[in-house]
Amino acid sequence: MTTTTPIKETPVAVSERKAGPWASLLLAGTFEVGYALSVNGSRGFTDLVWSLVAIVFFLFTLFFLSVALKKIDVGIGYAVWAGLGTAGAALLGPVFFSETLTLAKAFWLIVIVVGVVWLKLADSPVLERKKPAKAAEPH
Amino acid sequence: MSWLYLGIAVIFEVAVGIFAGKAQGFTKLWWTIGTLVAGAIGTFFLSLALLTFDVGVGYAIWTSVSGVGIVIVGALFFSQRLTLKKLLGIALIIGGVVGLNLAGTA
Repeated sequence: MTTTTPIKETPVAVSERKAGPWASLLLAGTFEVGYALSVNGSRGFTDLVWSLVAIVFFLFTLFFLSVALKKIDVGIGYAVWAGLGTAGAALLGPVFFSETLTLAKAFWLIVIVVGVVWLKLADSPVLERKKPAKAAEPH
Repeated sequence: MSWLYLGIAVIFEVAVGIFAGKAQGFTKLWWTIGTLVAGAIGTFFLSLALLTFDVGVGYAIWTSVSGVGIVIVGALFFSQRLTLKKLLGIALIIGGVVGLNLAGTA
């Protein structure tokens, strides 16, 4: 008869497992910015190179987001990812294309980013569970 | 016309949000295919909208209004609770989109 012995986890392995999903999430956010910029650069998918780049970024985003969300709470993960994507596209749009970021535009974009992050966090099962008032609710 | 394109792109992005959830980490084949198809159509219409919108503005409106749509569809069809917190997030997003309009940048 064989017995399975639990493998002792080294501190490095533990920290790697914690950092891995967040690195994936940051990558997903970065690729999402690349996706937004290349979709814009594709000019309605008439520019072949930008179109192909957009498709590759889209698949990378989807892949890294799904990897990250295996470990990170969905609400928190989406909040970080969507916040990164929206802020990144607004900041880098003027860098790569002939666009301007005026003060008024920046203000309302910040309102939207805050709204997106807030909305995703409100959808977080982990954060909801942490509320003591809800735990006390009778079922 | 650009607003119509953006609206269609939002509808498909809402579908992506729902299908991706059903695909359970892309282990369910048909929901995964649905996610990719909806994503492709949504992306195409987003690119048409971005012919007119600045990428920062168009993308922000697209992704945020899609987020609102996913929450509303969840509340209507998947019996998810529409909490006061969520309503505040929705209000912020709508306020931001209206603000961009009034500022003449969208």
